[in-house]
Amino acid sequence: MASPWLDVLDDTIRACAAHERQDLVDRLRVRRAQLVEPRVRVLVFGEPSQGKSQLVNGLLNAPVCAVGDDLTTTAPVVIRHASEPVATLVTGGDDEARAIEGPGHRPVPIESAAARANADETVVRAEVGLPRELLAKGLTLIDTPPVGAPTARHTRNALAALQQADAALLVSDATKELSSSELDLLTRVCALCPTVVVVLTKIDMVPGWRRVAERNQAHLARGGLPVTVLPVSASLRLAAARAGDTALNEESGFGALVQYLHRDLIGHADLLRRRSVAALTRLTADQLTAPLRERLAAAKETDTDELTARWRAAGRKLEELQRESQRWQTLLSDEVADLVADLDFDLRDRTRRILREVDEYFEVADPAKDWDEFAEWMYENLRAVAETNSNWLLDRFEWIARKIARQVAPRGSGSLRERWLESTQLDDHVGELRRPAIERFGVGQKLFVGMRGSYSGLLMFGLATTLAGMSLINPISIGAGAAFGAKSVFEERGNRLKRRQSAARTAAHRYVDDFFLIYGKESKDTVRMIHRDLRDRCTAVAQELRVEITESAKRIKEVIDTETAQRTARVRELSKSIDELTSLRRRAQSLTAAGTVRGLTA
Amino acid sequence: MSLAEVTWSLLNRALEAYGDSPQATAWLRRHLARFHDPVRLAVVGPARAGKSTVVNALAGELVAEPGVPDTELSWYQVRQSRSRQELLLLDTPPVDRDTESRVVEGICMEADAVLYLMRHPQDADLAFLRAVQDHPVARAAPVTALGVLSRADELGGGRVDAIVSARQIARRHRREPGLSGLCQDVLPVAGLAACAGRTLREDEFELLAALAALPKQELDPLLLSADRFAADEARAALLERFGLFGVRLATTLVRRGARGQAALSAQLLQRSGLGELRDAVELYFTDRADVLKARSALIGLEVVLRMEPRPAAGPLLAELERTVAGAHEFRELRLIAALRTGRVRLPEELSEEAFRLVGGYGGEASARLGFEAAEAAGPALRHEAVGALRRWQEYAGNPLLGAAERRAAAVVIRSCEALATS
Repeated sequence: MASPWLDVLDDTIRACAAHERQDLVDRLRVRRAQLVEPRVRVLVFGEPSQGKSQLVNGLLNAPVCAVGDDLTTTAPVVIRHASEPVATLVTGGDDEARAIEGPGHRPVPIESAAARANADETVVRAEVGLPRELLAKGLTLIDTPPVGAPTARHTRNALAALQQADAALLVSDATKELSSSELDLLTRVCALCPTVVVVLTKIDMVPGWRRVAERNQAHLARGGLPVTVLPVSASLRLAAARAGDTALNEESGFGALVQYLHRDLIGHADLLRRRSVAALTRLTADQLTAPLRERLAAAKETDTDELTARWRAAGRKLEELQRESQRWQTLLSDEVADLVADLDFDLRDRTRRILREVDEYFEVADPAKDWDEFAEWMYENLRAVAETNSNWLLDRFEWIARKIARQVAPRGSGSLRERWLESTQLDDHVGELRRPAIERFGVGQKLFVGMRGSYSGLLMFGLATTLAGMSLINPISIGAGAAFGAKSVFEERGNRLKRRQSAARTAAHRYVDDFFLIYGKESKDTVRMIHRDLRDRCTAVAQELRVEITESAKRIKEVIDTETAQRTARVRELSKSIDELTSLRRRAQSLTAAGTVRGLTA
Repeated sequence: MSLAEVTWSLLNRALEAYGDSPQATAWLRRHLARFHDPVRLAVVGPARAGKSTVVNALAGELVAEPGVPDTELSWYQVRQSRSRQELLLLDTPPVDRDTESRVVEGICMEADAVLYLMRHPQDADLAFLRAVQDHPVARAAPVTALGVLSRADELGGGRVDAIVSARQIARRHRREPGLSGLCQDVLPVAGLAACAGRTLREDEFELLAALAALPKQELDPLLLSADRFAADEARAALLERFGLFGVRLATTLVRRGARGQAALSAQLLQRSGLGELRDAVELYFTDRADVLKARSALIGLEVVLRMEPRPAAGPLLAELERTVAGAHEFRELRLIAALRTGRVRLPEELSEEAFRLVGGYGGEASARLGFEAAEAAGPALRHEAVGALRRWQEYAGNPLLGAAERRAAAVVIRSCEALATS
């Protein structure tokens, strides 16, 4: 029949294995093997020189354990029933790494077993078998080295042994009350091995042992340790055994102790097992839970704050970029409008100045003679105007581009700084200056004009002289005709020059107008083109930045998401493990709730 | 100048330097007043270690009531015996976690020397002993503590020969580095038996004699347990005074021929370990009262110099440090203890001579050099001292000596030099 406590213990072992605590698994396996055996292991422990070994000797009525006035016991002695007295020393046992020899069992004479075990550092424990009625029902007594002795080996051995006991006897002598260190020890022991009684030894030595026993009981009650106190005297018991004196044996108090061992411990072996397993499971579960809880707390606390902050910053940056783009676009159009206005004014101003000069020039100059020279000058001037103007345009644009670049990419992304302006060189807009139509004043025309003027003079003077009796053609009339003819020719020449000059001016004006129209158009086109280009580039850079930031924000978000998911999974897993252990602990608790027996109320 | 003289002058100079500070002046005056008092010996230990019993045993009368926990320090001036010097005994409240700092403070302020009582050697509260000596001057000279296994009878299970095995345990502990660094020596004493022995009354002796006269088979069952023995009222009172061990020991001693109250008292004293304890107190403490007094005064002076530093006290501090570092008397005391406890081993006859030279049989020059006080004359002493100095210098040159022996030899040489030049 599988007992419930065995199930719990197996589950505990499995839990240990699941949490990769091989050390605990090994320890629990050893304990399991012990629990399955039909034995009750009773551990005798206490501070140095309290009479632990003597108590065991008194129980068995045999000098099994070595006793002495100074520290004596250094190795545990395990005493169980055997049909023949037998003793072995166990060296280098289960988990003792310090053993020089391998695990070994060495048979020795029973009288010297304990003494030898104490003398030999490599001995882990002595095992003694005795044919005693007390032991026959499966009682195993374990005498331990003192707890709290100066050397660490003793204490470690004693505490290690405690985990493997079904019940424990704390030995304290009657010369003093339980000390605070003993009470501490008892509290610790109760967690490891819940069935404990205090044995008050050496009551033969002090008259006031009854008071000490009462006080001890009070101390225990105050410490919340409902542990019974059994006063005994081993030396009286041994003396009684020697003398065969039953009254003395009664006085030694061992009767009550033996009765306790028999009736309350062996009689309720199953309860003891349940309690041991419960304590063991509780302890193991706590041991496993503690690191889990720590990890859980750590997992809950894990910090994604920094990542979240970066993610938020990226979002803010994007919004800012959006706002910035509005701003720089407005700025760009404003700047370009300014530029166009400025350019227009400049062009107008320069051409006007040229025209003024042209007018002044043709006040005097005769286009018939100086046209070529003028055309050359005109051409050069207009070229200069176009060049200056377009250079200014380019310079202004470069400046605008820098300004915008600072706005768009303050961290100095270089893409806007290219010499993109080179491709937009202005063509030569200055066309050929056409020569105006110029009337030539030829000899024939001069003759004709002279003739026409001389005719009227001749006629006028000839008629006048006729009255004076002269003939119509006379020297005076001829002279007058000649003078009139010359004057006509002269006047005609002046008129013609004036006409030519006017024509030339008109031609120059038209020419400049043409230039203004064509160049102005070209210039405006260029401005628009560059404007568009600049805008596109800036948009592209801004877009690039946006994409970059969006991308990084996305990545951060992904990391945060995965981490959160992992953490949630881890927290869930840890919580589950803790819940499992808690339920295991609860099951262990319920093992002991089954029922309590008098004397075992621990 | 001896340590005591140097200390005396230091204290007086400090009094001048701190003339304007009433607190410091009062403090220094108290130390000056203490200087010529008897040695103040504090009996310290955990609860129920037998402090009051040991105080009574040392005092030789029932001055302190055992089993009643004191909350204050109580003083008892006692003369140990006619030949011995006076001693001021200080019974202290039990040492535990609550009272410790107060007790430590009281002991540091008041006591010149400490008997530290423990039930079992394991109980030895080294932390407490360390706290008592946690002072620059005290650390330099751990010469004021004796460890006492005060319930030696219980260590031996109350057997008649319990004190023998307790002595063995004490011997082991006095050589252990933990205790030996803090205590001069560790001694067992069966407190109840010792106290009862020193204050043995006539009626008690008669009752004991009557018990001893009983046939063995009648007496032995009575002595088996306290319960049995205490069945009779008169016997119960006796048990209360002597303890089971004391009764067993006393009856055995009467049987073996201790006739009369005085003889039994003397034997009890010896068998309870009290004799040895008194010898040790004399050897380590009362014989060296001047050194211990100087030490206490130096500690007091150091406290003043530390709490109220001022430029005028600068040279005093330097001189204090020099004095403590150079005090040969402390080293002599440590060597006496080391030779006694076997922490330093010298060849038999040399060990004896070293013990004598460093003042184990008395601090005077004649006692150190092995002369009777009467016959000692200046030149003879000097001659002997120079001879001893040569011998020891020769011995110290031996390359095979261990470190402890070499140090011991150096201390002896220094003592010889002092003797030769005095």
